[in-house]
Amino acid sequence: MPNALNRAIRRSIALYEIGKAGVSLICHQSERSFRCTLGADALVPNGYIRELLFRHLSAQASTTRVVRDSGDESALELAPVYGNEGMNMKKVAIVGAGQSRYGDFPEKGIKELFFEAYKDMVESVDKGMDPKRIGAAYVGNLGSGGFQLGNMSALVSEFVGLPYIHTVRVENACASGGYAIISAIMDVMSGAHDVVIAGGVEKMTDVSGTKQKYWLGVSGDTEFERLAGTTFAGLYALIAHRHMHQFGTKREHLSMVAVKNHKNGAQNPKAQFQREITLDKAIKSPPVAYPLNLFDCCSTTDGASSVLVCDAEIAKEFTDTPVFVAGFGTSSDYLAIHDRPETVTLEGTKRASKKAYDMAGLGPGGIDLAEVHDCFTIAELLAYEDLGFCEKGKAGQFIEDGRSQIDGDMPVNASGGLKSKGHPIGSTGTGQAYEMFNQLRGTVQKPTRQVKGAETGLVHNVGGSGGTVAVSILRR
Amino acid sequence: MAHVSIPMYWRTIPQRYKMIGQKCKKCGSVNFPPKGVCKYCNESSDFEDIGLSGKGTVHTFVMIGAGGAPPEFVEQEKAGGSYPVAIVELEEGPKVIGQIADADPKQVGIGMKVSTELRKVYNEEGVIRYGFKFVPD
Repeated sequence: MPNALNRAIRRSIALYEIGKAGVSLICHQSERSFRCTLGADALVPNGYIRELLFRHLSAQASTTRVVRDSGDESALELAPVYGNEGMNMKKVAIVGAGQSRYGDFPEKGIKELFFEAYKDMVESVDKGMDPKRIGAAYVGNLGSGGFQLGNMSALVSEFVGLPYIHTVRVENACASGGYAIISAIMDVMSGAHDVVIAGGVEKMTDVSGTKQKYWLGVSGDTEFERLAGTTFAGLYALIAHRHMHQFGTKREHLSMVAVKNHKNGAQNPKAQFQREITLDKAIKSPPVAYPLNLFDCCSTTDGASSVLVCDAEIAKEFTDTPVFVAGFGTSSDYLAIHDRPETVTLEGTKRASKKAYDMAGLGPGGIDLAEVHDCFTIAELLAYEDLGFCEKGKAGQFIEDGRSQIDGDMPVNASGGLKSKGHPIGSTGTGQAYEMFNQLRGTVQKPTRQVKGAETGLVHNVGGSGGTVAVSILRR
Repeated sequence: MAHVSIPMYWRTIPQRYKMIGQKCKKCGSVNFPPKGVCKYCNESSDFEDIGLSGKGTVHTFVMIGAGGAPPEFVEQEKAGGSYPVAIVELEEGPKVIGQIADADPKQVGIGMKVSTELRKVYNEEGVIRYGFKFVPD
């Protein structure tokens, strides 16, 4: 409906009809007509009316609201709505963040890992926080090998002393954590709860390598992609090969991403692999799915992370330096790569980031640093392009020129990224937010990893080969 | 534990054996594998089943090595070494993923012309799964 209506509005003359029941909008087109009936206090989503009918209103308005409807068309009064204002929606802040160490921990299960992250989060709240204030917890998780597939969010919540809250497991494959954050943001925005946890946890090393491949390879299009004999390495390799063919991206460019992220991860005490690698070693590592080799792939990881999201109005009760949610967006896409019009673009990333940029009122140029989803090295190159940090096809040059290094003009994955920090699936998105919270407050554990003077950061979390994408923009 | 269960596989036999696609009666585009709503116009569910030629061009491919093969394909990788998997753009328009068989790895390339044959995919849960694979045309 919105798309059809948008198209109709662009091509047609729009008229109003004011009825007693409210306001009706009728868009006439020669062969068809679309009708959209609005209540008297209706909120008209961005893009419907704004484009054609109310150009005099600020382009920054996120919605248009009918403020007075006297029944007379000429007297109809409409007002722009800026951000969350006017919709009676709350502004949202992050006032604490915690992360467990990422790695291989046979002695810890999902409960213990989540508790480690939760305790770290509670301790990070400068002025302290009474856990009784927590009203909800959204926990990203892919199912931890199927050992606690049901009710896992209630389990980890009660384990950390939060037995009677609103809690939900959020699952969108590797983007589960990113979507947990957005669920928490929407909860606080709506006014349902004023202090909410967005967490994530995954236990990946309890299962054998064989079972892991059974479990992990089924977030793509299982019927066709899996039965062709691929896992995610193979799927991302298909994208990488086409990218190389179409744009001249070199195999070395892929390895440069791994080298950079290991260099950053070596400075992260919570990373799984805290060691640097040479370009030569990365290039010569054993092939997994040509053109991807071992050092192009992230590992399997145990870990948890948690951020404390609250109503911005009460943020100062917890800290004098909160981080604010400036914008967010998500988008799904066709699961199978073969179903997408473009092989070398993650359309979900483009659309999710467009929504987040629009809400924050800025573009890629307004971002000081980013944590992006580098499950495979090609994924980071795609992110440079699809988030708008560089033109399509130019990501190879972007990494080669050092622009995404910590001292570059767009530092990417200062944490070490999924590649070096680790990828405990459900925790990855919230772990990115943990890093960004500390980067923006200048509190990362080692100053060698600190991006100096960063004010605005973007976090980007991808599920599968792009079937789901979540983007948030945070600002100090 | 299987990835593609027997009923799940059985439901897709028309695609796997005969490459039955859907021609959209509204926009004329061909969907393969099937969709509920046409992925090209996003407006119609009115389809006519058509058998595809199985001929097409390699759009991109990967060589799946030992570490990249799913468990149910490990046996194939051990017996025959790395195997190519491609996304092929079919003559009728849609792209689809599948293995390339009977090809010298050096011969496989983007732009290569392929056709389709019915082959054994693997044996799981005691049932041999057959499906299309691409071969050099």
